[in-house]
Amino acid sequence: MPNVASLLATVPEARRQQIAIGTLIVLAAIFPILIDRNDADVDSMANAAAYATLALGLNIVVGFAGLLDLGYAAFFAIGAYTYGILTAYQLQPPWNDFWAVFQTLGLATPVPADIGDGMVVHFTLSFWIGLPLAACIAAGCGVLFGAPTLRLRGDYLAIVTLGFGEIVPIVVRNWSDLTNGAAGLNGVAAPRLFGWSFGVNSVPYYYVAMLMVAALIFISIRLRDSRIGRAWMAIREDEIAAGAMGVDRTRFKLLAFAIGAAFGGMTGVFYVAKLQTATPEMFGFPVSVMILVMVVFGGIGSVWGVVLGAFILQLLQSWWLQDLTEWLHILGRAVGSTTLQKIDLIESIELIFGVILVLMMLFRRQGLIPAVRPQAALTFDQQHAEVRRGGFSGLNLQGLGGDKRTGEIALDIKGVTVRFGGLTALNKVDLQVPTGSVVAVIGPNGSGKSTLFNAITGLLDNTEGSIRFHGDEMRGLPPHTILKKGIARTFQNLRLFPNLTVMDNALIGQHARLTTGVFKAIARPPSTRREEKAARDWAMEVFAIFGNRLVPRVGQMVLGLSYANRRRIEIARALASRPRILLLDEPTAGMNPAESLELAEQIKSLNDLGLTVLLIEHKLDVVTRLADTVYVLDHGDIIASGKPDEVRQNEAVLTAYLGRNAQAAVAGVA
Amino acid sequence: MTFADLLLQQTINGLSLGAMYALLALGFTLVYGILELINFSHFNVFMVGSFVGLWVLQQFGLSGQEIVLAGLPLVGVLLAAFVVTMGVSGGIGVAIERLCLRPLRNVKGPAAMITTIGVSYILFNIVLLTVGADSKNYPNPVPAIHYHIGGAVLDLRVILIWIVATILMLGLYFFVQRSRLGKAMRATAQDAEAARMMGVEVDKVIIMAFFLGSALAGAGGMIFGLYYNFTSFLIGFTAGLRAFTAAVLGGIGNVPGAMVGGILIGLIEAMSAQFLATAWTDVIIFSILVLVLVFKPSGLFGRIAPTKS
Repeated sequence: MPNVASLLATVPEARRQQIAIGTLIVLAAIFPILIDRNDADVDSMANAAAYATLALGLNIVVGFAGLLDLGYAAFFAIGAYTYGILTAYQLQPPWNDFWAVFQTLGLATPVPADIGDGMVVHFTLSFWIGLPLAACIAAGCGVLFGAPTLRLRGDYLAIVTLGFGEIVPIVVRNWSDLTNGAAGLNGVAAPRLFGWSFGVNSVPYYYVAMLMVAALIFISIRLRDSRIGRAWMAIREDEIAAGAMGVDRTRFKLLAFAIGAAFGGMTGVFYVAKLQTATPEMFGFPVSVMILVMVVFGGIGSVWGVVLGAFILQLLQSWWLQDLTEWLHILGRAVGSTTLQKIDLIESIELIFGVILVLMMLFRRQGLIPAVRPQAALTFDQQHAEVRRGGFSGLNLQGLGGDKRTGEIALDIKGVTVRFGGLTALNKVDLQVPTGSVVAVIGPNGSGKSTLFNAITGLLDNTEGSIRFHGDEMRGLPPHTILKKGIARTFQNLRLFPNLTVMDNALIGQHARLTTGVFKAIARPPSTRREEKAARDWAMEVFAIFGNRLVPRVGQMVLGLSYANRRRIEIARALASRPRILLLDEPTAGMNPAESLELAEQIKSLNDLGLTVLLIEHKLDVVTRLADTVYVLDHGDIIASGKPDEVRQNEAVLTAYLGRNAQAAVAGVA
Repeated sequence: MTFADLLLQQTINGLSLGAMYALLALGFTLVYGILELINFSHFNVFMVGSFVGLWVLQQFGLSGQEIVLAGLPLVGVLLAAFVVTMGVSGGIGVAIERLCLRPLRNVKGPAAMITTIGVSYILFNIVLLTVGADSKNYPNPVPAIHYHIGGAVLDLRVILIWIVATILMLGLYFFVQRSRLGKAMRATAQDAEAARMMGVEVDKVIIMAFFLGSALAGAGGMIFGLYYNFTSFLIGFTAGLRAFTAAVLGGIGNVPGAMVGGILIGLIEAMSAQFLATAWTDVIIFSILVLVLVFKPSGLFGRIAPTKS
């Protein structure tokens, strides 16, 4: 056996994946023949596949975008009833010429009315049109429902979706003209292909379901590894940072909701077409929980994991629990225990789901197949390679900065006031950053420096005054638009995306500069491939600013990196967005003196390239080295501004920093 | 009945339901105030409490509505039933915290919330599998004495429900406001880290919040049985969702807010059942939840939500 293992190791990973996927496809294709067309077993597999598509849909919402949706079955219901109502004998408006158009399209036929002698419409929507139609309707409902609620904090969203999941079956039950209420829709049409009806034969359903699973796996993976997926994961990891890095949060959350809903809607069509009936009970809270259990069990965010989770839990119900129950009964008879003989594990399936949820959360939160795979550590050589320090030259950072020191004002802040309740954090602040210069803002803790940055980058909604950037008003714009205009920032308390790689962090920084949409992400045409490659090349160029500190670590999770490196990644992420002005909030905080000076050199080099910098900093040696102009904030007021040396002599500044008595002491010593 | 009578009658009904929702809402608010966690297991602690109360009443030989007590025996039986129910429910709450939630306290993301969903599901199915799916007749030892106010009827048992609920809510309020542990609780809700530095035993505070919240939910479950004369494994979901809406309406994390919110939701339910349609009650209450969350997320009396960094 070791020979096989070593042989396997010689095959490249991409090839191994291809072989594994190929084997899976072949096994899935011949499964009905393998088990000798045992109809019940094929049927179980078809149902399991339907649940796998639901799990894939929920995984986009919960796993990728991090939005806990407890009412996912509602979209399943919407899809199911869309198709059900348009094929069953439920909705029957009187026949007139208007419907003739639909008749020629094959969507409706006239049938004699049950009561009276007129003709009524019988809708005959094709299954194959029903799939995309229901996907669109469910997605539309997802957007309608999501628009007002997606601004809520994650945990509130959970309870609102729970309520929504409860409301949809209630509406179905009460709106009996359309849905036949609690009795359910009957006579839902089975799919037809070239005139042949699937009827109740499990085999064609099995293949349709498997094709749906394959298609949705493909779409999920393509989306995950694209600009879209990165934006979702950025939102999941840190919403505020995602916004500040150019991700339109509302839009991408809605997109995740819509795509997840579309998957659910399609599955609903398949499910009722297979059962040929639909009742409100098929889509209640237990279904939403079951899909959630599948996602949690398989691995939140893991495409292959949730598929595996869905199959295991579905087959557990239809195959294994049956056998286990029988074994328990045999055991019970053998030992003479009546309790054992009475146990029915299939009835306890929901209890088992509850136990699985709790145990997975307590002991294996990453699920069966974790979304994030353990990474190879850096080799000894890589870790101990001599770090290159100081400024850089000779890098090809085209498109970064390039602004000449024309004296034109890049960022013009006038009368900016921010109040939190009774506290005035900023009081009529005026500040100008000339193009191509480095401006520093200093001040004691709590003087309003970070509030100023938050006001500039649109994180506050109570800003008064005016913030103009190259003449355009920034106040009132959302953070992602401000980034797109060319203002990028770092955060004082690091807001990276910890469970993503260094490269992904820098790629999210470029989000606003890339154009790939959903369809391009899925189809991945040459233009998208080129764009991705260019984005990665650009990220590598930006990493090169920090010598070889980040370059060997591009594939590592941010989580495991040193503090100084994480600070560098924040700067790299901001630079990756090709800003015209870079806002640095205490970039050297927590760095040792050598590292601080190294970073100061690098910032200096960036400025030499023509990048305008606005800097908050405590370390006066860094400020003196870098800044052309210094502004001093105290209790929300600008108390001084000017060249670094002038400001250092300013009395008001000394009072603010050292206190009046200390200032006297300093004067005495001097 | 005239319109005024109907209004009065539904106010009486609404106050009874509201007392129950308020007791349940307090548990959501206590736990959310401290841990910022929506505790879905609370839904079914309420349901289990209702069954514990049923069991205690049966131990006193009560079944159905035929046997009634009066005077001291009535007070004694009800007191014993409430004390045992609240003790057991509180114990379940503490066990949930200790076994399932404490290990996850420092885990980011939805792990703790998903765990509470799992726990809720476990409680739900244990009851379903042991007592069965049919709803159970709830004994009611209170004599059927009715007072007529105009065309409206006020039952003695409704008055007793009000008294019990008022005592429990006032007790909780004064505990939180006046006692040493109550003060520690409020401090922890403001800033757990700072409270810990000041010598507050945060673990003890959290245990206390779970115990009190679950005990009140148990009392609420018993009130459900006494009010409706039945209980079932299903009651937790709807009542829980309504009580959560009540907590949000009053401003989640706010103790008096949860009480007022509960009463309001009870009144809304009674009025909408009378003047609109029972079938749509849940839709109306859910709409309130969404509207409050979207337009006034801090609720009617909410503290200003601290901006979390």
